[in-house]
Amino acid sequence: MFHKRYRKQIPELNTTSTADISFMLLIFFLVTSSMDTDKGLLRQMAPLPQEHEQPRDINRDHVVQVTLDADDKLTCDGKTVSFAQLTDEIMTMASVNPSGHVVSVQADRATTYEAYFHMQNAIVAAYNTLRQRYAIDHYGKRYDLCTPDERAAINEHYPQRISESALQEGGSR
Amino acid sequence: MRPMQSMYRRRRHNVPSLNMASMPDLIFTVLFFFMIVTHMRSDEVKVRLQVPQGKEMQKLMNKQSVVNIYIGRQGDAWHVQMNGDLVSPTEIPARIEALRAAMAPENAEHMTVNLRADRHTPMGLISDVKEALQQSYALRINYSATELKKE
Repeated sequence: MFHKRYRKQIPELNTTSTADISFMLLIFFLVTSSMDTDKGLLRQMAPLPQEHEQPRDINRDHVVQVTLDADDKLTCDGKTVSFAQLTDEIMTMASVNPSGHVVSVQADRATTYEAYFHMQNAIVAAYNTLRQRYAIDHYGKRYDLCTPDERAAINEHYPQRISESALQEGGSR
Repeated sequence: MRPMQSMYRRRRHNVPSLNMASMPDLIFTVLFFFMIVTHMRSDEVKVRLQVPQGKEMQKLMNKQSVVNIYIGRQGDAWHVQMNGDLVSPTEIPARIEALRAAMAPENAEHMTVNLRADRHTPMGLISDVKEALQQSYALRINYSATELKKE
């Protein structure tokens, strides 16, 4: 009888605290890690001009001059515009002359970053819309579903021609 | 003994206990999920900043080749923080060089600067930083922002 009783009560490992331990690990990871993947506008800057390079002449008619003044006022070729209007302006310019137009961007030193960012966002939106259209017309699918080769072809058709360096007026053209 | 009382007693003694054996496994699963989907926050941000909102966002790929630059307020003054510590824009080229040397060659080739700047930062400071980056030939730049849903 004694033997039987002993067999029945096999000592169990007390695992109640395992849950607490793993909860602590979980909370540690929750605190030290960040869930959000970084998102943003990826831009490629132009390298610094070399000494021997001459500034290139561009026909004034092909330039969209975008400026931001100290009060975050956006002007496009002298007219005050909203960010959505800027997108339209650039879209017309880039669709008329995809490989020859230049978007010249100038921001005052007192402009806030937010205005500058929205301007960049509007410019990128213009190009994205044009590329999207081109992709649907020529490949019958959305730009983000195209193969890398197709995308390269689209990007070549609608290159982003943005200049942030100061323009020099002049010439008699 | 009355039969009634004995029944009552039996009931009180046999409260069924909840089986907690699978609880740790469950929590471990959640833990592994978090370990996989998240990445460790590498540097402590010393400046206060709020990034702008945009619509045309791209995801930032390849974490190994990213250099973080934070621009924000500390007290009343604007500061630039690069990876771990506060720097002045003039120090940036030297630091970029050091970071590039420490990176694997294939990562250094795709080096991207993730610019997390506060939305009220004056552009003058941003231009200084951008100029410094141009000098050090770190030309891929990501203006970090939060996503605004497209309507």
